[in-house]
Amino acid sequence: MLKKDLMMRNPLRAVSDENGYILPEGGLGAVVARAGVGKTALLVQLSLNSLLKGDNALHISLGDPVRKVSLWYKEVFNNIGVQYQVEKIDDLWNELLPQRFIMTFNIDGFSVPRLNERLTELADQNIFHPQMILIDGLPFNEEIKRTDLHALKELSEKFKSHIWFTVRSHRHEEPDSDGMPIQIGKFADLLDVVVKLEPEESNIKLNVLKGSGAISSQHLSLDPATMLIKE
Amino acid sequence: MSIEINKIRNIGISAHIDSGKTTLTERILFYTQRIHAIHDVKGKDGVGATMDSMELEKERGITIASAATFCEWDNHEINIIDTPGHVDFTIEVERSLRVLDGAILVLCSVGGVQSQSITVDQQMKRYKVPCIAFVNKCDRSGANPERVIEQLREKLGHNAIAMQLPIGLEAEHEGVVDLATMKATYFDGDNGEILRVAEIPAELQELAETKREELIEEASNFCDELADAFLEEREISNEMIMSAMRKGVLSRSVTPVYMGSAYKNKGVQPLLDASVALLPDPSEVSNTALDLNNNETSLELGNSNSDPTVALAFKLEDGQYGQLTYIRVYQGNLAKGNTLINTRNGKKIKIGRLVQMHANQMEDIEAISAGYIGALFGIDCASGDTFADPKLNYSMTSMFVPNPVISLAIIPKDNKAQINMSKALNRFSKEDPTFRTFVDDETNETIIEGMGELHLEVYVERMRREYNAEVTTGQPRVAYRETITKRAEFNYTHKKQTGGSGQFGRVAGYMEPFSEGEFDFINKITGGSIPTQFISSCEKGFKAGLKKGALMEFPVTGIRVEINDGAAHSVDSSEMAFQAAARGAFQEAYKKAKPVIHEPIMKVVIETPTEFQGTVMGTINQRRGTILGAQEEGPMCVIESQVPLAEMFGYSTVLRSSTQGKAQFTMEFANYRQVPQSITEELQKKKAEEGKKGAA
Repeated sequence: MLKKDLMMRNPLRAVSDENGYILPEGGLGAVVARAGVGKTALLVQLSLNSLLKGDNALHISLGDPVRKVSLWYKEVFNNIGVQYQVEKIDDLWNELLPQRFIMTFNIDGFSVPRLNERLTELADQNIFHPQMILIDGLPFNEEIKRTDLHALKELSEKFKSHIWFTVRSHRHEEPDSDGMPIQIGKFADLLDVVVKLEPEESNIKLNVLKGSGAISSQHLSLDPATMLIKE
Repeated sequence: MSIEINKIRNIGISAHIDSGKTTLTERILFYTQRIHAIHDVKGKDGVGATMDSMELEKERGITIASAATFCEWDNHEINIIDTPGHVDFTIEVERSLRVLDGAILVLCSVGGVQSQSITVDQQMKRYKVPCIAFVNKCDRSGANPERVIEQLREKLGHNAIAMQLPIGLEAEHEGVVDLATMKATYFDGDNGEILRVAEIPAELQELAETKREELIEEASNFCDELADAFLEEREISNEMIMSAMRKGVLSRSVTPVYMGSAYKNKGVQPLLDASVALLPDPSEVSNTALDLNNNETSLELGNSNSDPTVALAFKLEDGQYGQLTYIRVYQGNLAKGNTLINTRNGKKIKIGRLVQMHANQMEDIEAISAGYIGALFGIDCASGDTFADPKLNYSMTSMFVPNPVISLAIIPKDNKAQINMSKALNRFSKEDPTFRTFVDDETNETIIEGMGELHLEVYVERMRREYNAEVTTGQPRVAYRETITKRAEFNYTHKKQTGGSGQFGRVAGYMEPFSEGEFDFINKITGGSIPTQFISSCEKGFKAGLKKGALMEFPVTGIRVEINDGAAHSVDSSEMAFQAAARGAFQEAYKKAKPVIHEPIMKVVIETPTEFQGTVMGTINQRRGTILGAQEEGPMCVIESQVPLAEMFGYSTVLRSSTQGKAQFTMEFANYRQVPQSITEELQKKKAEEGKKGAA
């Protein structure tokens, strides 16, 4: 099975626009969940979705080393291989690898200007131009300010890309009055899509808290065994 | 060797070239009375420093192979592993670091933290070796230990804290003030062997008090009792400070800094005191082995003499009495007459003569206890072999040995060089399982194979230096391979009728790509169309085809062959005929099966200061490399990438020049991947040119 077939059978296709994007160009999206529910797994699938489309994806992890992030990709990709019976999965993986770039920072060492500097350097040297940026582990509850999100939006626009974040919520916290998780309530107007992962009895539901178009009426969930998205 | 384990220290002295590491070791041996005279490193007096036992080391004034030596200080037994400071010999360094429990990081008070200190420090970090620092050469003009401490913090990210203050610097360097005892120490006598402890000079009193406060504040992070005493302004003893600092050192949370000038015989004895007081004993370090009976799962070893023995041979040396094997015992007791198993090959070994080494001299001993380092005579083994009790099947290092990815032809200059070269090759292939050698049947040249350009260069240089084998080398060659990409049928008849008995054999079946191994042969012949006695000849014939692919004459891998039909003749069929038929069938199908060339891809990990991150990524990009990721860790950045080996020749020079020598890289084999079409064409063109040259 080739890339195209895999794309056709990808459940994320149902929630994307005609060009295959969930977010508008320069847009920001957030995946909210408690620890261990599947934020990173979903993020990796969003990334693989854009890799299969031929786009470049930059995965930024705050805290985890490159090796661990790579392992996530390998694991999710192998599961996709098994689920969709992809032959020669290693060859396909080798084909996708140059389109993916992992960058990791210590949480203290990360700042938007620093990221901008790194990305500009990569683009200037023609090493890497991301169409999709994924940021895993941004500390939304403490240090993130509105100005940071504004700066990230500018960055996303500058590179004509889309940015997805993971946001960690906590069991004991009540949502805001409009139903938004407390961590992103004050930033909700800056985000185009907010998806909350909610564990149910036999699967993990993708609950769209904010978003318009196809995403707003989706019925997707994560399979807790493989962490793959299913319809 | 009945000493308690807490009185043992296995330490390394790590530093970049020229920071005076060997001089420091020489002084340590002098003060611990292992040697009775001091020699210069550069060998002006024709003797050379004791630790640098190899000729090349004496000549260049650098240490390449790490010798282990033993000394006693303050009722403690110290084994010193002299580690090479040159970045190109990191295999040796890493092997040494595997056996150390703690290290002294030597820095030059003038040069400070240089790129090679960064390399050495990163290696220590990788192996989680606790360390203390020694700022050497305080007698040199421009000496500034304070700045070196600052650099340790900024450039290496160490939590460095001064344990001493220098009394005078440059030509006026006289001694040190100990901030824990608040006493001054001077080094009298011709060789600084007489310690004179005195009051702190008045002009340093105030500074010493401030520095002591800084030290206590830091140390109190590791000991609540000390923290309380500090807050309540109670008296704080030397022991309290040292015990807190020891906890910090063991957890790699703090780096105490000592200072002096080894060359001028100052500050060495306090450093020895500190090594004993602050660095861990073998029981405080956890060591792991791999259980070979359980899929190489890692398990922690005990430290007791009563456990079944596990020991690692970490270095081999050719001595006048045969092979000397340096060994570290991790658990159990290794005594004369014991029988152990070499877990690499399952061979039994009987322990004969045991010695304790002092560079080139040795002392006979009866046993080596857990945590101890010694040497064995008369044992045939390779470097990195594990000796274990017959009950255990443990290995200290992974048994996985990757296949070589690069080769080089070596040509001896004359007959004498030929003999020496053979000796050297025999030794090196024992020392290093990734280094291999063979004679090419076609060209009759001796070929050496290894894991990278630098890897082979080091051995060629050692061949010249240690074995006096004058050799010239050919161009390095990448180990390309061929494989097929689709299934293809064959039906080949080998028939010859030219006088005498004829030859007849027909084989039919198919070949297809095979990802699980190099070659798979399936016999599906029914009804005896090929008689059973000729099936193995068919397999042989196909295997012969694997040696050279029809595309570019590279070895062929990843093929499954199935034979399902054939024909034989009652008189003319023979083993030879079926081998020839299978060879013909292979050639027939191979061309149809769309063969491609695969090249070795290396995992290249580069550690660079962040300011060179972009430049370094550029160099990877230019080499058809794929950057997997970049990891920022404080001032340093680690870039992981995959690059074709063919593009990595000369990379160390490029990396050094583009990062002012501040970046370093490691390279290991990752996998084989198909060569892009444009590169295949280039290779074919090159081969055609070589063919023309050969014909001319």
